[in-house]
Amino acid sequence: MSRGEFRARKPRNVWFREVLTVSFRNLSRHRVKTVITTIGVAVSVALYIFMDAWLLGMNLDSRRNIVSYEIGAAKIQSQAYFEKKEDLPMYESFSNWKPIAQALETAGYAAAPRMTFTGTLYSRSGSAPIVFHGVDPERERRVLRYMNYLEAGRFPKEGTYEIALGLLAAEKLKLDIPRKLTEEELTRLVEEAARTPEEEAFIRRLYARQEPVFFLRKDVSRTELDRFWELLVASGRNDARISTVIDIKEESGKIRHVYQVMEVKVVGIVNSPNPKTNGNVAFMPLDVLSGEEGLLLEDQVTEILVRAAGAKDSDLPGPKESPEAIEGALRSVGLPLPSPLRVYGWEEYVKDYIVAARGDNVSTRVMILLLFILSFLGIANTMLMAILERTKEIGMMRALGMTDGELVLSFMIEAGMIGLMGGIVGMILGSLANIPMVNYGIDYSAMAKQLSGDFGYRITALFRSAWNPGTIIGAGIVATLISALLSVPPTLRALKMPVTESLRFE
Amino acid sequence: MGRTGMTVVEAQNLVKDYTTNGLTVPALRGISLSFEQGEFAAIAGPSGSGKSTFLHLVGCLDVPSSGEIRIEGTDVSTLSRKELAFLRRQKIGFIFQAYNLIPVLTALENVSFPLTLLGVDRKEAKRMAEEGLAAVGLEGMGNRRPKEMSGGQQQRVAIARALVKRPSLVLADEPTANLDSKTGAEILELMLSLNRTLGTTFLFSTHDRMVMEYARRLVHLRDGIVEGEERKGEGQP
Repeated sequence: MSRGEFRARKPRNVWFREVLTVSFRNLSRHRVKTVITTIGVAVSVALYIFMDAWLLGMNLDSRRNIVSYEIGAAKIQSQAYFEKKEDLPMYESFSNWKPIAQALETAGYAAAPRMTFTGTLYSRSGSAPIVFHGVDPERERRVLRYMNYLEAGRFPKEGTYEIALGLLAAEKLKLDIPRKLTEEELTRLVEEAARTPEEEAFIRRLYARQEPVFFLRKDVSRTELDRFWELLVASGRNDARISTVIDIKEESGKIRHVYQVMEVKVVGIVNSPNPKTNGNVAFMPLDVLSGEEGLLLEDQVTEILVRAAGAKDSDLPGPKESPEAIEGALRSVGLPLPSPLRVYGWEEYVKDYIVAARGDNVSTRVMILLLFILSFLGIANTMLMAILERTKEIGMMRALGMTDGELVLSFMIEAGMIGLMGGIVGMILGSLANIPMVNYGIDYSAMAKQLSGDFGYRITALFRSAWNPGTIIGAGIVATLISALLSVPPTLRALKMPVTESLRFE
Repeated sequence: MGRTGMTVVEAQNLVKDYTTNGLTVPALRGISLSFEQGEFAAIAGPSGSGKSTFLHLVGCLDVPSSGEIRIEGTDVSTLSRKELAFLRRQKIGFIFQAYNLIPVLTALENVSFPLTLLGVDRKEAKRMAEEGLAAVGLEGMGNRRPKEMSGGQQQRVAIARALVKRPSLVLADEPTANLDSKTGAEILELMLSLNRTLGTTFLFSTHDRMVMEYARRLVHLRDGIVEGEERKGEGQP
C-alpha cells in the first residue's frame, strides 16, 4: 500500500450535510444556551442596523438641507475671502457679479449673489448680533428654498428696507407672533396693533386664557395668522434698526471702517428645515445695500451661490455641479472667472457638520462595536463550553477519521449558525424598528431649540432614518462570520490534545 | 471466512513512554507482534500492562516513542496527521468501552456517519447502515437516539458503526467492560460471527476471563512486554 491511498478524498457534499445535521442537533441539544446567545447577537445586529440607519438618515437630510437651504452646490468667492471666511471679511468682496451670474445662467446654472455682513439688530425689546445676507430675491429663490418656509409674513421685496429674520432671533427680540402673553402684555399688544374694535376683537379671539396667562390658540388658521402678522407689522412693532460697521479696503490695502445705521422692518420669519437659516440670521434685498443709505456697495458682493438650474431638492450636487465643471462651463460660454475668484464646493463650508458627523459616526460605531464584542464574547463562551463538553466526542470523531480541518469547519458551522440565526433575527428586528423611524422619525425640536439649532447637523425638528440595505445584509453576514471564527481558537485548543487523552476526558 | 495469511498489522519493537511531572513511566517496552487478516485476537493483561496503549498505537491514535507500526504494509510513521486521519477513516474501525456514540444522532445516523465521511451517497449510506444495524440485531431501532437505548444496544450500534465501512481492522478497547456478563457474551458472539462472515481482523483488549475464552489468539501482556501467547483452533471454545 502506498502513502497516496490515504491522501484526501473530497466527499465534501456528503459529509457537509451530515455535519450540518450534527450542528443543528447540537444547537437544539443546548437550546437555552443557544437561545440566549442568539438573542445577544440579534440585539447587537438590530442596534447596529438601527443606529446606522439613524446616522445615515441624519447625514442624508443634513447634506440635502445644506445644499437646498444654506449654500447651494458651490460658491464663487475671492480666494482672499475664502481664506478668511470665518471672519466674514466684507472688504474682500468683488464687483461685476452680474456678467458672471448671466454667464452661469446661460451655461445652465442658477446663480444668486450675496453680500454677507454682520451687525446688531435692535428691536423694542432688545438687541442681538446678526449675520445679514443681502440677496437678490428672485435669483436667491432659484438656488435656495428657505423662503418657502416662512413661519410668518413674506420674503422682503426688492428696493425696500425689509428683512426676513431667523425664528430664534425673532423670538429673542420679540419680533415674532407672541405665543404666550400676560393680561397686561395682551392689552398693550391690542392697543398697539388694533386700529378698530373689530381688529381688537379679532386679536383677542386668537388667544385663550389659561390662568394666569394667555396662549395663542392652537386652532388658529394660517389666514388668521397672516392677518395678525400684517397688523403687527403695520403697527410698527416689527420696526428694527441695524447697526453695522462697513469695512472698505482702500487701494493701499488699509481697511477703513464706516459706521452705518439702517432702519428696517421685519416682514417675515424664516423657519426652514436647516437650523442655520433660523438662528441669528437675516435676509434683506441686495439692491438697497448699494446706495449711501445702505452699505455703499457699488454693486459689490461677497459671493455668488451656484446650483444646476432645475436641480431637485432631494438630489445632492452631481458631477455637473463640481467646482471644476462650473469653471469649465464658464470658460465654455466665453467668460472664464477672473483671477481672484474661484469656485468652491459646498463641502468646503460645512467643516463643522463634517466634524460632527464624523465624530458621531465614530463614537456611535465604537459603542455598538463594544456591544458586538459583548455579544460575541457570549458566543465565544458558548462555543468554549460546547467544545469543552464535547472533548470526548471530538476524540471519537478524530478516531473515526475526521481531519483537524473538518472538525474546525464543523464547529465553525455550528457557531456560524448561532450568528446566522442571531443575524437574521437582528436584521428583522432592526428593519422593523427602522420602519417608523424612516416613515415618521422622532421630533426633537425642543432639544434643537435649547441648543439654538446649532449642533452641527442641519436638521431642525424631525430626526428620520434612511434605509441602508448594504448595512442590513452586511451586519447579518458579519455576525455569522465573526461567530464562526470565534469557534476556531477553542477548537484548535481541543485538537492539540492527543486523541487518546480526548477519549479519556470526562 | 478465516485467516488468509495477509498481514494487516505489524508492530516491531514498540516502545511507549509517558512523562508526567518530569517522571518517565514506560507503558510498552519493546513489543513485536503481527496480526493477519481475519484474526480474532485478544490482548490480555492486568490494568497497566499496556494493552490499551498497544491498541491506541496500532489504531494510530497515538505515536510510539520508538519502534515501527505497519498497517497493510504502510509504515504509519511516514504519514502526516491528515493522512493518519484518512487511514483511520478507511482502514480502521473502533469499538470503545464507553460506546462513544454521537448523542445527537440516531442509531442509523451514527452507523452511516463513517460512510458519509468516506463520501458514500446518502441513500446508499442509509441502506448500508440499515443492513449494519440488522446484522447486529437492531433492525427497526434505527430512529432511536443513544440515550433511548440500553448499554448493550449502544455497543451493538458501535459495532455496526465500526464494521459498516468494511475496515481491514477493528480495534475494540475493553468492549464488554461496561456490560453485564450475558450482554457481554452476546456482543462477543456477534463480533465473532462478523469476524467469520466478513473476514475482518478483530483485535481487542480485555482483562476478563470470559472474553479471553472467545479469542482465537490470546496475547498476554505484563508490564509492557509480551508475557506469552496462545492460539486456539477454529471451533473452540
